[in-house]
Amino acid sequence: MTSPGSRWDGFRRVFRLPTSADRLAREVDDELRFHIEGRIEELIAQGWSRDAAAAEAWRRFGDYVAYRREARDIDLITHHQRRRMDIIDAIRREARQSVRALARTPAFSLVALATLVLGIGATASIFTVLDAVVLRPLPYPSPDRLVSITHPVSGTAVTAGKWGVSPAGYFFFRREARTLAASGIYSTGTLSVRSSDGAARVQSAQITSSVFGVLGARPAAGRLLASDDDTPNGPIVAVLGYGFWQRAFGSDPSIVGHTIDVEGRPVLVVGVAGPDVNLPMPSAFASQADIAGFGVDVWLPLQLDPAARAVNTHPYSMLARLAPGASVDDAQRELAALTARLPEIAPSAYSPAFMRQYHFSMAVTPLQTEVVGATARVLWVVFGAVALVLLMAAANVANLFLVRLEAHRREAAVRAALGAGRAHLAVHYLSESLLLTLSAGALALLLAWGGLHVFVAVAPPSIPRLASVALGWRTVAFAGALSIALGVVFGLVPLASRRDVDTATLREGGRGLTSSRATRVVRDALIVGQMTLALVLLAAAGLMLRTVDQLRHVKPGFDPEHALTMHVHIPSSRYSGWAPVAAFHRSLQERVGALPGVRAVGGGTDAPLVSFGFCSIVWVEDHPLAPGEEPPCVKVTEAAPGFFSALGLPVRGRVPDWHDAEAGTGAVVVTRALAERFWPGENAIGRGIKGNGSRPPFYRVVGVADDVRGEGLEKPPVEAVFFPIIPMPEAPLWGPPNDLDLIVRTSLNDPTALVPTIRRTIAALDPMVSVDRVQTLTSVVQHSLARVSFILALLAIAALMALLLSAVGTYGVIAYLVTQRRSEIGLRMALGARAWEVTRLVVGHSLRLALLGAVIGTLAALATTRLLSSLLYGVQATDPVTFIGAVGFLLVVAVLASMAPARRAARVDPVEALRAS
Amino acid sequence: MPARSELDVVRGTLDLMILRALSWGPMHGLATLRWIEQRTRGELQIEDGALYPALHRLEQKNWLESEWGYTDAGRRARFYRLTPAGRRHLTAELSRWERYTIAVSRVLAPEPAR
Repeated sequence: MTSPGSRWDGFRRVFRLPTSADRLAREVDDELRFHIEGRIEELIAQGWSRDAAAAEAWRRFGDYVAYRREARDIDLITHHQRRRMDIIDAIRREARQSVRALARTPAFSLVALATLVLGIGATASIFTVLDAVVLRPLPYPSPDRLVSITHPVSGTAVTAGKWGVSPAGYFFFRREARTLAASGIYSTGTLSVRSSDGAARVQSAQITSSVFGVLGARPAAGRLLASDDDTPNGPIVAVLGYGFWQRAFGSDPSIVGHTIDVEGRPVLVVGVAGPDVNLPMPSAFASQADIAGFGVDVWLPLQLDPAARAVNTHPYSMLARLAPGASVDDAQRELAALTARLPEIAPSAYSPAFMRQYHFSMAVTPLQTEVVGATARVLWVVFGAVALVLLMAAANVANLFLVRLEAHRREAAVRAALGAGRAHLAVHYLSESLLLTLSAGALALLLAWGGLHVFVAVAPPSIPRLASVALGWRTVAFAGALSIALGVVFGLVPLASRRDVDTATLREGGRGLTSSRATRVVRDALIVGQMTLALVLLAAAGLMLRTVDQLRHVKPGFDPEHALTMHVHIPSSRYSGWAPVAAFHRSLQERVGALPGVRAVGGGTDAPLVSFGFCSIVWVEDHPLAPGEEPPCVKVTEAAPGFFSALGLPVRGRVPDWHDAEAGTGAVVVTRALAERFWPGENAIGRGIKGNGSRPPFYRVVGVADDVRGEGLEKPPVEAVFFPIIPMPEAPLWGPPNDLDLIVRTSLNDPTALVPTIRRTIAALDPMVSVDRVQTLTSVVQHSLARVSFILALLAIAALMALLLSAVGTYGVIAYLVTQRRSEIGLRMALGARAWEVTRLVVGHSLRLALLGAVIGTLAALATTRLLSSLLYGVQATDPVTFIGAVGFLLVVAVLASMAPARRAARVDPVEALRAS
Repeated sequence: MPARSELDVVRGTLDLMILRALSWGPMHGLATLRWIEQRTRGELQIEDGALYPALHRLEQKNWLESEWGYTDAGRRARFYRLTPAGRRHLTAELSRWERYTIAVSRVLAPEPAR
């Protein structure tokens, strides 16, 4: 029916003051009463008695209640319509006036607009990334109840970290843990799947069927894996990933019930997972750290046997859903206690000594933290930097508003004298500032949209959930709120410093002293504030710059120039066993090595910086273990002959060749770091080392490779053993190298030119062998710098923006001051001051502010760069060289920014200046 | 109560009569009604109360504007006055009404068309 009146009506209703609806109703009543009384008088004048007249008047009136209500309703509607029109008119009027006012000072308007667009745009962009990656919950039902379960392990730099769980451990925890409602384990990898278009490498996940339950997954077609599919040695079935189903099978539901060819074996497809079903990240031992867009194409059952003998390997990542009412801490406590019982449950895998040596324990982490963790820290740092820049932009614009206000002081005084109330002035200022900030906000969203596209393209692939970064309504709302908040602040700035506007100003005719002391202090404070923030950002950027520089000088150990690496998969269905795989390796090496332009070829299970990962335990002949001592854990790989020369990794001693491999002589190469660890100061050649036990025969060290930074440029040189690709008799190795990283050293400047030829050569050998992940070794090295370079780029951009804003701000204010003080300058020059003295005055002012900003900024930076220390390499967070450089840079910029106005001040003609005042 | 379409016709006619009445000068509601009653010489029976929704609606359409004032007797009353837009609307409606009545009476006339 009718809506209550305005906001004021509500307010008035609370305090029982009459509302406009009340007033309108009363008027209708008065009007109708007047009518009826008039009628009654008329009838009485005609001779009716009072009572009869009253009855007749009421009768003639008709349905009083209905007519009264009708009239009231119409009035209410009219009232609302009129008020709406008034408001719309008022808004239009204000907007038109604001546009005109802003257009009258185009320099101010454009500079302020540009500054705000930069500030809001940058902030909105980073907010979008932060929102998509860190803030938004994972796309599973009740994501806060999901946890990741790992074993934190202490050890050397190579071995420490978080391990996955062992099969025995998983079954035990699953059975005993009361705080977990459901749990599952998985490992990820890549497989060859043959569809109608040929063989393709797809991302696969091997899971226990319970994983789907934990994730709350639903099928899009058919069914998901069930507990029957977990039966060891049972039929292997597959569930397709939704995206893969769309891409490879055109969303054809009839694929369910058919078989697909996986690694040469037929596998029955029982269903397709729903569109949002995915693992949060690859498993702990995924060699490709590309979690940005990780998606599972094929889901297969693990089919682990709970009754199998427990072994001490931890290749599986464990996910669980907390039981209702259980907290993460509860689960942590229970699982830690259960972990402590592992030696008694599975003594063949977990000895008390092992537990002690590695401080083997359990960590239950909320899944979101696990996935996003380290990246979150980085992103918050970047967001902080950008927020600082926004603050600076805001300070700049606030300053511009103040300056502009002063120029219009007379106009404001006139308005006040003419009776403009404070509220009216507030509306006037607010409409101007809101118009400015809202326009800036709209343009900023455009900028952010473009910026985000660039960001997603250049961001390192180790940023999780990158695929979900997109400009959405949350960003729009954020930018909108920011624009409105800024608009309100800027609108109130003139009001805050309006105290001195009065008739005195009018009397003075607008000239005279430049401004009140309060305004000057505020203005200078804003400039100093900007300089401070600029310095903090410069220091941070400088530190990152030095980090990248230091990392760039770190030698990886091998020679990345002119070389390629590629991943070759030799299907175990066609090549099973050591000898066939090794034979294929050999023919591969011979064929590819014969190609023109190829200088050396060699393959290994892991190439440094490409896929070095976890460690394995080894036994050293010379160091029999003390009772209770655990064997050391080092990096272990298998390398075919030719690997080292292809890598360009120098080896002292000799390198195993094909004779060694085929005869099974057990020749290995170790890295210098490992030699230093086990045989410090001695010759490692001839020493014995092996995996899988301490009984002879041992493999013999025949060569020591130079230090190689296999795991990352910022990590210490890796301790590694390179075993041959065919084991010694009686001393088995882990398994034939069906997955190879092939290194091809070329004599070409652009090694990628050889790729098609290499592919053809390999296909000619065997078309079922797939080749992917081709990259040059130089890009591999650069890739390892990616994360740090990326952060540097962002901080550098932020710092440059900050510097630019400071310069603009300084220039603007100094220029204004020079204009205002023309008469003073003219006076000085008339009294004999020389041009350079005037220049010195102006630049001196700017320099004083900059120095103050630099001092405060240095203190602030010393306190805050600490936050970066986890990202730095080779440089301290309080590195003096960087800080001095930043301060110097800032001072130079401050001087330059004030040069132009200073020179203009020096050229002031004293006669003219004095005349004008 | 008359049926809906009849009501609209009645309303429209009433509006026109009110506008006509007020074209002679501002009046309050009762005076307007009396003026109409006099002119129709009692032929048309209009419920008193029906006037007020009509007046308020005409004000909503900006053809009338109202103002509280005092009668000669010193009583407080709401006076209505034609706006320029109302005057224009009245002129247009009057000519339409004339054309309408002439057309209808031609149809209803007793003599044959020839």
